[in-house]
Amino acid sequence: MFLFFAFLQIVALSLYITFLSFPRFQFLTSANAISGQIYSWEHDLTKHFNLSDENLKLQEENIALRAQLPKSLFKLNNATIKINDSVYRQQYEYIPGEVINSTVTKRNNYFTINIGESHGVKRLMGVFSPNGVVGVIHSTSDHYSIVKSVLTKDINIDVTIEPIGLFGLLKWDGRHPARGNITGISNDLKIPRGSKVLTRGGSGIFPKGLLVGTVEGAYAIEGEALWDIVITYSEEYRSIQRIYVIKNLMHNEQEEIEKKIPEDKNPR
Amino acid sequence: MNYMLNISLRFFLFWVMQVLIFNQLEFGFGIHMMIYPLFIMLLPFDIGDFTLMFLGFALGLTIDAFSDTFGLHASSLLMMAGFRIILFKAFSQREAYDPLKEPSLFDMGPRWFVTVYGSLLLIHHFWFFLIEIFRINELMWILQNTFMSIIFSFSVSLLILTLISRKSRAK
Repeated sequence: MFLFFAFLQIVALSLYITFLSFPRFQFLTSANAISGQIYSWEHDLTKHFNLSDENLKLQEENIALRAQLPKSLFKLNNATIKINDSVYRQQYEYIPGEVINSTVTKRNNYFTINIGESHGVKRLMGVFSPNGVVGVIHSTSDHYSIVKSVLTKDINIDVTIEPIGLFGLLKWDGRHPARGNITGISNDLKIPRGSKVLTRGGSGIFPKGLLVGTVEGAYAIEGEALWDIVITYSEEYRSIQRIYVIKNLMHNEQEEIEKKIPEDKNPR
Repeated sequence: MNYMLNISLRFFLFWVMQVLIFNQLEFGFGIHMMIYPLFIMLLPFDIGDFTLMFLGFALGLTIDAFSDTFGLHASSLLMMAGFRIILFKAFSQREAYDPLKEPSLFDMGPRWFVTVYGSLLLIHHFWFFLIEIFRINELMWILQNTFMSIIFSFSVSLLILTLISRKSRAK
């Protein structure tokens, strides 16, 4: 009897541990067909509760985008005409979706979204909302995906603090869904409160300059020459609904060129 | 037949309540309401040990599939099922348990129920947060999570027990 207990216990724990690093059993996540369907029904019922807030957010985003249109810019120099040229090439495409299930109080929080492989979503794509970064795609099924949100232990998104331009890694300590931490910034520089935290765009998952949050304070870590920087997220993850998945059209190109970096033979 | 039907119905009921209601309520302060341990608690006295542990594992895993915890609920519910066997033996009265009774508040009396269900919940919740957080230097946070959640889980369990129990309906 004890053997049976030990056997099931080992199965459960090894499932848990392997899943944190790599999703092997698709059917055990909320992206599977049955749970995805049930959560969609539930979301259809509850999504209207926040409708006016959501509309307001979309409207604000529209206003900001509309301000950038050529129509709303006053022409100072009549000699320059905007033409469709080959200087710019599309690098990022966005796939819109909705969060149908989410948690914010666990140690590792995952969001289920209602778009999947058939919409072009793949593992390790970035996810953001009008207000800020949301996370990275953790696993996908045909019509649903799971997002590993910034509210997980080892999310490690590379960010910069503007206007100083310092690079650090975004972490979460598991306590409050409105606050995150940045590590890896040395304490010889002053970090002003309220500085903006943006994505660095180094890994090709997020474009450069997406808003993450604002600096709330920098605290000294005993015995280390690093700041422990606490930031306030710009997105309210407790009521998040609309998101976009980022498709980087040049991801393969970047990956190929980075493969050519010679490997460090003697790592520290 | 009736017996099997009753258990499957409860299995489904607890699963629906946990996944669609209590998993969606998030209060912060480390409060996670988990009411599905009551299912294991209420299984009849004469249930086989293997069936008991298997049901614990199965209910845990089905809840895992809906909350992206991948085996965490299964592990803690199995832990609780294992300790139910031990604690029921330790807290038995002079004679053996009456198989016609069910291990609830109304059949076994408040004292027995609070001690046994309280300790089982403690084991379940402590194991859950221990595995989830898994850091010794955050022991205080684990304990805060455990105790805050137990208060809520226990009170809600009592309410549910009043709703589904045969005895309270007969009154």
